[in-house]
Amino acid sequence: MEEKKKGTKLSRRSFLKGIGGGAIGTAVISTGLIQSDPAAAYSPETVGARGNRAAITLKVNGKAYRVEVEHRSTLAEVLRDELGLTGTKIGCDRGECGACTVIINGRNMYSCSQLAVWMDGKDILTIEGLAKGDKLDPLQEAFIEHDGPQCGFCTSGQIMSGKALLMKNSKPNEAQARRGLSGNLCRCGNYNREVAAVLAVAAKAR
Amino acid sequence: MAQAPKEFSIVGKRIPRIDAYERVTGQAHYTGDIQLPGMLYARVLRSNVPHAKIVSIDTSKAEKLPGVKAVINHENAKVPWSSGGHTHQRFIFNNPVRFVGDAVAAVAATDRHIAEDALKLIEIKYEKIPHVLDPNEALKPDAPKISTSGNLSVGKGAFSAPIEESWGDLEKGFKEADQTFEDTYITKHTNNAQLERRVSIAKWDAGKLTVYASTQGVSNARTDIAKDFGLPLSRVRVVSKYMGGGFGNKNQAQDYDYMAAVLAKVTNQPVKLEFTREDDYIGMHGRWPSEQHYKIGVKKDGTITAVQLDAVTNMGAYRKQSGNLSGTDFYNIPNFKKVIKPVHTNTVVSANYRAPAYPQSVFGFASFLDHIAYELGINPVDMFMKNRIQKYKSKLPFTSNYLEQCIIEGSKRIGWSEKWHKPGAAPGVKKHGIGMALGGYPFRPGLGAATIRINPDGSAHLLVGVTDIGTGAKSTMAIIAAEALGIPLNQIQVTNGDTDVTPYSVGESGSRTTSFTGPAVIAAAEDVRKQIFALAAPELKAKAEELDLRDGQVFVKSDPSQKIPLERAVARAGELIGRATTNPEFKDVEGKSFSAHFAEVEVDTLTGHVKITRYVAAHDSGMILNRMPAESQIMGGVVQGIGMAFSEELIIDKLTATPINPNYRDAKVPTHLEAPNVEVIFIEHHDPYGPFGGKVVGEPPITAAVATVANAIFNATGKRIKELPITPDKILQARQV
Repeated sequence: MEEKKKGTKLSRRSFLKGIGGGAIGTAVISTGLIQSDPAAAYSPETVGARGNRAAITLKVNGKAYRVEVEHRSTLAEVLRDELGLTGTKIGCDRGECGACTVIINGRNMYSCSQLAVWMDGKDILTIEGLAKGDKLDPLQEAFIEHDGPQCGFCTSGQIMSGKALLMKNSKPNEAQARRGLSGNLCRCGNYNREVAAVLAVAAKAR
Repeated sequence: MAQAPKEFSIVGKRIPRIDAYERVTGQAHYTGDIQLPGMLYARVLRSNVPHAKIVSIDTSKAEKLPGVKAVINHENAKVPWSSGGHTHQRFIFNNPVRFVGDAVAAVAATDRHIAEDALKLIEIKYEKIPHVLDPNEALKPDAPKISTSGNLSVGKGAFSAPIEESWGDLEKGFKEADQTFEDTYITKHTNNAQLERRVSIAKWDAGKLTVYASTQGVSNARTDIAKDFGLPLSRVRVVSKYMGGGFGNKNQAQDYDYMAAVLAKVTNQPVKLEFTREDDYIGMHGRWPSEQHYKIGVKKDGTITAVQLDAVTNMGAYRKQSGNLSGTDFYNIPNFKKVIKPVHTNTVVSANYRAPAYPQSVFGFASFLDHIAYELGINPVDMFMKNRIQKYKSKLPFTSNYLEQCIIEGSKRIGWSEKWHKPGAAPGVKKHGIGMALGGYPFRPGLGAATIRINPDGSAHLLVGVTDIGTGAKSTMAIIAAEALGIPLNQIQVTNGDTDVTPYSVGESGSRTTSFTGPAVIAAAEDVRKQIFALAAPELKAKAEELDLRDGQVFVKSDPSQKIPLERAVARAGELIGRATTNPEFKDVEGKSFSAHFAEVEVDTLTGHVKITRYVAAHDSGMILNRMPAESQIMGGVVQGIGMAFSEELIIDKLTATPINPNYRDAKVPTHLEAPNVEVIFIEHHDPYGPFGGKVVGEPPITAAVATVANAIFNATGKRIKELPITPDKILQARQV
């Protein structure tokens, strides 16, 4: 409320001092703001439009999206930030944890390690595309029944790797299931459960 | 507050988590999934030197980069981070910097790539200060001082040093001993490594700060932020709905929440600050490493007469938590003394990680006890049984203690008596081994709060401050509410983790959620049931206290055929609100969950590779309220312990003082391939002090796991590895000695 009355430069400088009432040991912030014309802040040159960009067609969950992406943007970033498909998580952003696993042309892959521009025309399946309307994929159902998620952050990736495995081999044994999921870390250590869910779907296929 | 057991209708059943659907469909929105209009992205720059004064910091080039909106550092954002250090004061940016990884600046930009680019354009001139990495070196008088008060980390109250505890008569205890043993065990820094990287989204509206945090405690986070920013609690809102793990390193508010708040304020735009995985490994904290020197006196039959523990724990550059070691907790020790020195070094900070003071010291003490059993020619299971704890500090009784049954049932399940053999006696190149250890975690009562709203259609809202960090807390609270109310689980909607909406919660750490908030949920249910019965009494022609509610039906206890549906009773009430703030206490009793773990391993003596072939975890956690997630937590705790035992270590390069493996692959977090099938046994007995008879579940399973597999390796090889992690090279080296 103080901000409205004061000039733009002063308002930001004094906000916390005002709130803090000068209490010792609380925050003191002078300014970190770059003084610039506020209108310029949203000029097309500066809003995420830097760098080389390319227009591509992403086929995600059976739907085609025409998107302009920065060359250095990863598929994971574009799925999450541009398409709003935030079921794909980013745990490490360096191809180690598998939270970002999606299925690309039938193979489970780390979407943090694929540039979006490489995906032009490829078929991408994410966690959001597994259910058929209200009907969950059997693997999703098995993850619920077998307590697959603890914190749930790795769950999308575990399910996508499990799905990719089951697409290739509908009846994996335990060792095959573990190997199929081995690129997906679960720090909650819920590996027994995730494998059990995959094996439950395999058992129904037998 | 002791309570008698009762029959349950849904407590203890195998019920899927109430939010499992959201979690398996990608519809669970975690903090990092939130997008706000006009939101900026922020990144953090960290010190690449271990100890230095910042002479100058030039951010001009970074600021000129198109898209960059703000750069903050120690000069323009002097914000204290009270919970970040309890000896010398810590700020969100510090000068001098005290370890490789200390934050020096943060940038907000229109895009995360631009923010990353900008970090590279910040120029810092450091004036180096001598540094020290080794805690023993740090304690020497001429060592470089990290804190003005010296490197022994002396803070106030719970952060005093050294940490000392004793009872009985140590000298007498050692005199009574037939034999005395001394040895040293060493553990390393391991990172919590939760899958969700740290992320915080901050925005200001008319002087009110909202932080979408990834925190294990919205109430504590709010308290921290309000204190350090000088705001009233009412002008800080902290929200954490879905949370991707923390295991103790997302308690309260952390510096990145503060940085996001400052950046949001100076730019007047919402800011999402994201850590990289490397930030997470070096910028926050992991488990405190330790050097534990034990002197143990025993009778010929293995009975412990005295234990003396002298230890050093490396807290890194700041003292965030205690640095204590409590692995002796599970044994009957008549005469005891420990002196633990938490020490500052110029390394990554060490603090809470699941059962903070336990797995490292259970490894030390249970390994040593196993070794003494070997020296005395005693079967380890007899050694552990004989010395198991029965009374707290040899004095106070426990609220319940079924450690003995854990040992009996666990050893029976794994087939200990048939499978145990003399250490190193198994034939062949791949040697079989079997081992065990005891563990557990304190169970304490404390402050909790809950609100229950009953709608006119008989459905209910449960409001609790708890965040669900993966333990299933949301589901457990709903199950407790359904049981206590007498309303079907699917009629209960849980709203959690939002300080503007939900009541206080202590914070989802220390295995406290069920024991602190659970009683409040029960009391809130009692409160609203009284209101329901008062409304239903006239129609049922009975007194309110003669009524009961089950399966959504209000009925007369003495004649259950006299009943009306809940919705009829409350139809015209508008809304009923039940609430409770509870703060139960223990009087002359101590609480603890207990466990006995057993493992079989196969050690390849040519490669040093260890395979866990069988794992049995027997737990006394009282009654199990939410069965599937409870089992999952036991399994998961064991897997984390196995990572600590076999592979995990954050390695600091001695020459550059730089962590060289701050990532999953190189710090070697266990994968599907290393995880054994964990057989979980619950020894279920009603604890008179726990909500619905339950004690604690989350932290106990990691405590015994490290020592259990270490003891199994000893049984296989006949060689004792006294330093973690037990990597193949150490096994091969030990065999050559």
